[in-house]
Amino acid sequence: MNVLSLAYKNLKRKKIRTALTVMGVAIAVGVLVSLMGFDRGYQAALTRDIDKMGYQLLVTAKGCPYEAATMMLKGGGGLRYMEEDIVKHIESDTRVDKLTPQLVATEYDPDRLDGQGGFVMYMGISDSYRDLKPWVTFKAGTWFSSLNADEAIMGYEAAELEQRAVGDKIFIPNINKVLTVVGIFDRTGTQDDGVVFLPLQTAQTLFDLPGQLTGIGIKLKDIHTIGEFEEDLYNVPGIQVISMAQVRGTILNLVASARVMANSVALIAIFIALIGVINTILMSVFERTQEIGVMKAIGASRLDVFKLIWMETLIICAAAGIIGNVIALVGSGVVEIILRKVLPYAPSGSLVLITPQFLASAFLGAIVLGILSGIYPAWRAASMIPVEAIRRGE
Amino acid sequence: MKIIVFSVIMLTMVVSIGYAAVGCTLNDPDRDIQRLFPEVTNYKTEFITIEERGGETLAKEIQEKLGDTFDPLYESLDVPYAFYTVLKGKDIIGYVHGVNQKGMYGGMQLILATDPEGKIIDFYYQKLSSPESKKFRSDAFTKQFVGLCLADFYARDLKGEIKDPSENSKQDYEATLRGLKKNLILYDEFMLGNRFDKEFILKEVSNAYAQ
Repeated sequence: MNVLSLAYKNLKRKKIRTALTVMGVAIAVGVLVSLMGFDRGYQAALTRDIDKMGYQLLVTAKGCPYEAATMMLKGGGGLRYMEEDIVKHIESDTRVDKLTPQLVATEYDPDRLDGQGGFVMYMGISDSYRDLKPWVTFKAGTWFSSLNADEAIMGYEAAELEQRAVGDKIFIPNINKVLTVVGIFDRTGTQDDGVVFLPLQTAQTLFDLPGQLTGIGIKLKDIHTIGEFEEDLYNVPGIQVISMAQVRGTILNLVASARVMANSVALIAIFIALIGVINTILMSVFERTQEIGVMKAIGASRLDVFKLIWMETLIICAAAGIIGNVIALVGSGVVEIILRKVLPYAPSGSLVLITPQFLASAFLGAIVLGILSGIYPAWRAASMIPVEAIRRGE
Repeated sequence: MKIIVFSVIMLTMVVSIGYAAVGCTLNDPDRDIQRLFPEVTNYKTEFITIEERGGETLAKEIQEKLGDTFDPLYESLDVPYAFYTVLKGKDIIGYVHGVNQKGMYGGMQLILATDPEGKIIDFYYQKLSSPESKKFRSDAFTKQFVGLCLADFYARDLKGEIKDPSENSKQDYEATLRGLKKNLILYDEFMLGNRFDKEFILKEVSNAYAQ
């Protein structure tokens, strides 16, 4: 008896019911693969974004995060600043590979937001910025002519919004300063794309913050020394150290709660699909009671009947595994669009990363699902007594 | 705790300083349209690009009508132009549409409210960076455009009628006139079915005779 061919023919007898059952499982598999892909993709994209910052540690003045949060959320001023001398202190540490001082300043622009006013952010940087971010290239123009020039370099999107080209002017309201755009960075896919950069000393002079900084980005020679280096910096008064790895972990934790919810929904969907498969096969067994009775009466063993019903379940789940993988692959683009709309912070790059391993695991998972869900209906069918089955079916 | 706060800052920074795609949409369409058309009951938003409506041929035609060429970087064919059709019940009572225009110190966003016949009802700068922005934003300057339509831009040089309100920002004044004309040409092309083409042809013919 060719079990596979017979099982296939049996399923074809109720095409719509079989198709609906397959689709139910396929959708559950598709959702699960998409979620696994999102988990992997989001972590990879976030890690890439944080790596693109170029530094592993950020030193800021104590209390800075709270005030910076206020500034960002409410649009007010009030960043904390630290003395520039701290750069020399950190620079002298042999564990430091590169560092870059930064001065972030905001200026009120009364013409923002339809004349209602708003804050614009400027960032003072030095030559070392490029050492830490060697991948940042120019779309047009070049670097500042000096660290105190009245010049600006614009992030890609800032230049696009302001329609600036090299040689154009930008105006900083309140302090009535006009600067010349000397360069426009290529798109980096980070928040730098929306920033207007000034030479560090120019920024310190313009915003009346001589010798002040808001942050120092640090890259170490050996990443494994980060823990002890961080500990040492905690002893320096007036500053605090933020590790980018911690930031990454915190963002992932924020996203993790949403992921747990989504995974729970996917597991429930799979459980419902499992019940659906059992129900479909069981119905099919009950409908074919007489047929199974006749099969056994003419010589089919308990094992033959068990294998037949089990094979039907396996076919359904294997087909669902393949279709589910296709749904996940085709639908990943749609999932990505939705995720970008609902997530507060979506890193650049692909958010859904579906690997061959995920697809293989999902397919194998569907097979296991088939094996498990087929046991009970197959056992029921195999346990039928031929005479009773034939009489019941009459 | 600090790490959490810092992470929140990072998220907020990305959200707050991340610039939107370059098109010219209203900051708050519900509020802005209500202010421009107090009797509005509903409105419809459409995003139209030159690329989808005629591509290079249309771009050439618009540049001809504008009397200027497009900036290859910031006025590409795929820039989406937003048109808000303002309704009162089932009746169209006007349109709101904006364009980005390169200014002296930054990008300008010029918003026009027009009636269904193409006449300007209101004009304002949604975005403008200039040391003399107050002068440009003043009613004394912007209200001079009320009542004009594309035919006026075709028929005469408006520089004679509408004075530059600034002392040192002539480039912004000229950019405003260019941006408004472009805005009206796009409006005529996309929403009014080139109603004002005859005025443009008349002007072209009279120019040819004059030469």
